[in-house]
Amino acid sequence: MRPEIKEYNYDWMLGSLLKVASEIGNSSEKEIQYLTNYIPYFKGTLSVLLREGEVGTCFIRLLDKYFDNILTAHQNSKKISAITFCLSPALFHAMNIVPVTLEVMTGLAGLLWKRGAYDYLDYGCELGFTETSCSSQRGALGAYLAGLGEEIDFLVCDTPGVCDTNANAFAFASTFMEKPFFQLNYPQTIGDEKTRKYHLDDYKDLITFLKEQTGKDLDVDRLREVLKEVDKQDDILAEIEDFYCLVPNPIPVIFNLFIYIGRFISAGLPEYTELLELMLEKVQQNAQKGITGLHFEQEKARVFMCYIDHYTLNLDFFDWLNRRGISHLGGILSRNFRDNTRYASELEKSTYGIDTSTFETMLTSLSEMNATLPMVRSIRGPFDKPNMWLEESISLARLYHADCVVYNGTPGCRNTWGMVKPFAREVEKAGFPVHIMNGDAFDDRVESWESTVNRLEEFLSIRGLL
Amino acid sequence: MTIVAGCDVGSLTTKAVLLKDNRLISTSLIRSKAKPQESARIAMEELFAKADLSEKEMEYCVGTGYGREKLAFVNAVKSEIACHGKGAKWLLPSVKTIIDIGGQDCKVIKIDESGTATRFVTNDKCASGTGRFLEVMAQVLGIDISELGQQSSRSKSPVTLASTCTVWAQADVIKQINSGVPIEDIGAGINLAMAKRIATLANSIKPENDICMTGGVAKNQGVMSLLEQLMGCRIRKIRKSDPQLAGAIGAALFAQEKLLSA
Repeated sequence: MRPEIKEYNYDWMLGSLLKVASEIGNSSEKEIQYLTNYIPYFKGTLSVLLREGEVGTCFIRLLDKYFDNILTAHQNSKKISAITFCLSPALFHAMNIVPVTLEVMTGLAGLLWKRGAYDYLDYGCELGFTETSCSSQRGALGAYLAGLGEEIDFLVCDTPGVCDTNANAFAFASTFMEKPFFQLNYPQTIGDEKTRKYHLDDYKDLITFLKEQTGKDLDVDRLREVLKEVDKQDDILAEIEDFYCLVPNPIPVIFNLFIYIGRFISAGLPEYTELLELMLEKVQQNAQKGITGLHFEQEKARVFMCYIDHYTLNLDFFDWLNRRGISHLGGILSRNFRDNTRYASELEKSTYGIDTSTFETMLTSLSEMNATLPMVRSIRGPFDKPNMWLEESISLARLYHADCVVYNGTPGCRNTWGMVKPFAREVEKAGFPVHIMNGDAFDDRVESWESTVNRLEEFLSIRGLL
Repeated sequence: MTIVAGCDVGSLTTKAVLLKDNRLISTSLIRSKAKPQESARIAMEELFAKADLSEKEMEYCVGTGYGREKLAFVNAVKSEIACHGKGAKWLLPSVKTIIDIGGQDCKVIKIDESGTATRFVTNDKCASGTGRFLEVMAQVLGIDISELGQQSSRSKSPVTLASTCTVWAQADVIKQINSGVPIEDIGAGINLAMAKRIATLANSIKPENDICMTGGVAKNQGVMSLLEQLMGCRIRKIRKSDPQLAGAIGAALFAQEKLLSA
């Protein structure tokens, strides 16, 4: 790693940039213009966020608060846990633990810095990760392994069998940093009684582990409070997601990013509720006017992302969708499979509910919520398991009137890469053109955004979609 | 009377053609320069000189290839896939699947009756399976790339080479040369490595007959024969013109369509 990189704390660098950005919302246009002269690389991303008005500034504030929590955790006697995007942070918030969601931390480096997380990704390789290991983990983890972030107190992961590269990264980090590590496991099936019981028992063990690490008991009232907030958030989300069915789609493309980043870091916290309320308001306004959420063009095509988005400086992917008139219908990351969502009604035994009446029902709710998170419920084995990735993608693409389905991941996403071609064939058979992107969502050096967008344009043009 | 041109600026070679009333009247094929504008200018100058025409007589020009966006003189640009589909259909009317191996990528394209591309697959990032791979290997063997194809028919025992990375394959070739393995066996191994990668890609899209090859590698008989063996089907040879010109011809056909529809 370059010596100058070692001079700065990763969390502080991201946090301080977001701190300034969070205060920009009340500024005049002239002030913003003046300020952006000092942030030549971040200004592209910032302008895409500010284009969303109050929703954009609220999202920046949410990120600012998240980083503030990380940076002040230890001085406030809170513990920090590394977690993955496949794990709900609600329990952590209920137990006053600050969750560091590694994928979000790596993704933000890509969105905020011209150099992305390159130095940290490479440092991960210097330590022993392979270049095809999970880049979404390796980026931020590189910083923590180098001692350049806030100290991680312990690690919790729930991806063995779901995403082994992810699970291996956690195992590696735990060994390297000599920190305690808890791993939730998953049976092959979803929704049956045996599996539900397994999740509940496993989740109880997780709580025991967290109690040991924090030296504190689980406050049942606080847990109820957090879960009620999640319940409220799920209701708003279900309402927002219903609007994907409309043509034109009134949901701005960037809202997908807001939905899942918010959920991965702030589920159960009021700041996420505030963001969702503002988003819903905006979407309702667009729907009432019968207009698209796109900023520059009329809706020309509707794309369903069957896996993840692409995270590079200037939010290139989202900006490109906007400028080409392509609606984003969400993807695996923006869904939560709550029992009140329209899309989940077709997928039997794939949902969770929230019941805050007793401690036991709350634990059941939490464990089931966790078992339906992105990846965890979808990609847990062969692609053709009933109601998993393939069926849910086809069902969502139909429900939202998608024109095509696009896969994007990273070379480390072996659980999806291993089956993406048969998956694509089946989705094509169902009537949706499929494009497989070859780049890395978190590392532009694998395939530059320019090449990626060329291939996307080619696909859309050849298949007659644009 | 319509005179139209197509200019295909690729990563290794630049091709240009002139069509007069749907007849090919002039072609040029040059090694690409660092700047696409310069490559295109040289190719176009050669094109007009051969036809004894001036640029002013050209009514419409379509650009394609990697450098297409940089060409100031073209009236429109089209993607390479669209142009190869169109061009191949003109060169071989019965064609339904085209295997195009260019300097830095390899594409398999399915077309409809009008020559419009309906499906395609491309290699992802590595130079293996591309024209560049063969060029590097020919250099290491110390032979001209045009001689590489003949090595397969001369070889009795082709070597097995790494085919996922051009640099590793190059290291393998050097090792084989130093071990005294005959050039024809190494050359045949190179063609086989190339053909295997292309066959895998082509089979993934379920090719339909007739199949043809375009791009510079279509002139390598070794790769073509091996590809037929591996895919278990016949690959029709383009005889009407140089298969390397297919993209430029497709571009010119788009130009012609544009003029006629105006």
